[in-house]
Amino acid sequence: MPLLVVTGVNKLFGRLAAVNGVDMAIEPGEIVGLIGPNGAGKSTLVNLITGIETPTAGRVEFAGSDITGRRPAAIARLGIARTFQIAQPFRNMSVRQNVAVPLLFRAGHASRVSDALRLADEVLETVGLGPKRDLPAQVLTTPDLRRLELAKAIALRPRLMLLDEVMAGLTPAETDAEMGLLRRMNAQGITLLVIEHVLRVVMGLCRRVVVLHHGAKIAEGPPAHVTADPAVVAAYLGPRHAAGRPSPS
Amino acid sequence: MDGTQISPSVQIALQNAVNGLLIGGTYATVGLGMSLVWGVLNVINIAHGAFVMLGAYTTYWLFTLYGIDPFVTLPVAGAALFVLGYGLQRVVVNQVIRASFLITFLLTFSFDLVVTNGALAVWTADVRAVTTAYSGRALHLGPVIVPAIRLMTLAAALVVALLLHLLMSRTRLGSAIRATASDQDAARLMGIPIAHVYAMTFAIALATAGIAGGLAGMSFPIYPAMGANYTFIGFVVCVLGGLGSVTGALIGGLIFGLLTTYAAGWLGPNYDYIVAFSALILVLLVRPAGLLGRTARFRG
Amino acid sequence: MTRREATGIAAAAAVIVVTLVLPGALNTYYIRIITGIFMFGILASAWNLIGGYTGYPDFGGAAFIGIGAYTTGILMVRSHLPFAVALPAGCVLAAAAAGAMGALLLRLRGHYFAIATLGFMLVLRQLTANLEITGGGSGMNLPPASDFKIFYYWMLGGLVLAVLAGFALPRSRPGYAIAAIRENQDAAQVLGIEPLPYKILAYAANAFLFAAAGGIYAYWLTFIDPLTVFNIDFTVQAVVMAIFGGPGTVLGPVAGAVILKSLDAALTNVSLFLHNVFFGALVCALVIFAPRGLAELFQLRPGRSRVAALGASIREALQENRV
Repeated sequence: MPLLVVTGVNKLFGRLAAVNGVDMAIEPGEIVGLIGPNGAGKSTLVNLITGIETPTAGRVEFAGSDITGRRPAAIARLGIARTFQIAQPFRNMSVRQNVAVPLLFRAGHASRVSDALRLADEVLETVGLGPKRDLPAQVLTTPDLRRLELAKAIALRPRLMLLDEVMAGLTPAETDAEMGLLRRMNAQGITLLVIEHVLRVVMGLCRRVVVLHHGAKIAEGPPAHVTADPAVVAAYLGPRHAAGRPSPS
Repeated sequence: MDGTQISPSVQIALQNAVNGLLIGGTYATVGLGMSLVWGVLNVINIAHGAFVMLGAYTTYWLFTLYGIDPFVTLPVAGAALFVLGYGLQRVVVNQVIRASFLITFLLTFSFDLVVTNGALAVWTADVRAVTTAYSGRALHLGPVIVPAIRLMTLAAALVVALLLHLLMSRTRLGSAIRATASDQDAARLMGIPIAHVYAMTFAIALATAGIAGGLAGMSFPIYPAMGANYTFIGFVVCVLGGLGSVTGALIGGLIFGLLTTYAAGWLGPNYDYIVAFSALILVLLVRPAGLLGRTARFRG
Repeated sequence: MTRREATGIAAAAAVIVVTLVLPGALNTYYIRIITGIFMFGILASAWNLIGGYTGYPDFGGAAFIGIGAYTTGILMVRSHLPFAVALPAGCVLAAAAAGAMGALLLRLRGHYFAIATLGFMLVLRQLTANLEITGGGSGMNLPPASDFKIFYYWMLGGLVLAVLAGFALPRSRPGYAIAAIRENQDAAQVLGIEPLPYKILAYAANAFLFAAAGGIYAYWLTFIDPLTVFNIDFTVQAVVMAIFGGPGTVLGPVAGAVILKSLDAALTNVSLFLHNVFFGALVCALVIFAPRGLAELFQLRPGRSRVAALGASIREALQENRV
């Protein structure tokens, strides 16, 4: 049984369909890529899955139960974690306090603050933020803020993690380290949906990729297959480029 | 008048509608200035009601000491408050115009403390009233009675709203204010002197507050602590009418007038806050614009 | 126990002992002034729970002063209950009212929340003036106390409670929820925090303490009417003291209350009529010249304590228009 099933999901902002009839399923243990040009509706889709926005139509199921329109906190406690495209730290709290928050409020949470802080230190070691644990989050650099986003998501101990461009702004070496971390998390049983612009990451991590354009799913399949799809090329580069390629007929 | 009979309940409902619309003009004038400052400066002026109080006292003293007709005193009250408003914004409010709303809130609260308690010290807590020779006169239109002075306050309120609308839509100052409200940085790049525009906005708002005070003083008692009521009324009017336009404030004021008049008719005289607050909460909860705290903009 | 904690506990014990024996050494005037300082210490610390830690600037705190005062008064006069029973009842009722109203009001943000809470206070004032059991607009008399010094001790007890709440909250699990909500509500929600109950908790705690101050104040005053207790000035002063002393710190609001209330007492000696004008001018000057408040002066070394840093950051956030 798939872990996440999205069926015919629509989201209208006024008359604009940000997400338009998207179907998607993710099996447990998969790493799925979600790509598409800017404004394709990727982040909106993540918002719909995590309850930040309510779909205008359609259905979201997680682990067999309908979570459409449920509150974000309830969805988080069911086991869906996410990171935000623009890091959303608790700026005036220390790095370890930031990570203690999900530890105190996930399902099966730590009941004492001191326990949560101790567990937070362990999570911070995994993402390489250990030495910075006592700094206020607002002084972190952009790559460190992304690590903190990831640490908070990990601390929620999710079954499914939705990663919204966690690699943006990282150096190639940092990207490699991050990909290693994601693979380890996946090996521990966390299913991943990765939104990413860096094609190397998508190719390196995902067996399967979903492509959104203007809110609709235009392609789905193995990365190499999908990136060769004329519709996908057209979406990214504009129709002229696609027309310039040899047509299938 | 003629032979047609209408039932007393219909007559009361009609009379309430007339009374509500008549007094709504005064409420709209109170809301105008608040809406202007909120929309353009993004400041909720807690002292707005205190300035309304100053306007009321201006009218009261000119009328009581020199026998000047209260409607003639309206421009005087407006001009005095205009000058006060310009100075206050230029010298004080402008210092913290970029600070958080809590800071500007506190600042205008401090104005309220100074003005209200100053008035209390100078004029005592005595409740006063403006009673003219024509205060008792009324027109009888069919089954309803229209008090002359209330009709004149509504007319004056409409004139003020019309003038403000023309100012915002037809003058260079108006377009500068609107440009500043919609995009401060762009306005600065276009060479609009922001500090002056802000000060003029605050001055105009206080001028309308002064006039509103003169109007309120003709219908309601005048005392130093009256301001808090008018600040709250101004806020409710802004929320009811939709924020940031002359028409909005006018509609909000008239709705508020009707609401409180009907409430007084049904529940008794001392339920206006309860009704206003309920309306406020209801509107805020069903209108996400309020919920999301979206910045209001003044359209003129 | 670290040395810092030991010093802190020793200092707190010393302060409590001194305040307990102080009334024996002072004349009536000073006892009255200090009782007033304690009262505003309660109010400022209480406001800090919702306005400072949670970031929801309540401007209707006087609503809860009124609930506390009138519940205490009604239970003492009409039900002949002792003060020690009537007061907690008022506190509980205020907390319950905050729970009910908070469920509506705490969905609003910024200006809207501030004005809506103000409106709530005005509504309660009007309701109180309309009701018969409260004595309506003409107010009600409470039985006089045997000794005015008991108010000193009651207010001191309330203040200790308020300070303890301010100390315990940020170190507790709900405190983490409240901090996360203040910093970033969306991020808090996707980490499993349902915001409303925690906001209501902070609001109710604030209401409980406001009502405590209100109830003691009513018994102290022996006469209350709607305008005296549902008075915006209480709220404004509490807010000013908390901000001046340092929002989001444990002792900042108390320090703010001590300094500003002492100043106010001195000004009252100068002019009974104009002291509120002076106070307003002072607030105005503070907002313009020292918007970050008093605590900034004590922020000498970085990294002194996390709580101090939090207070500093909240003030910074206020400056940068983020709250």
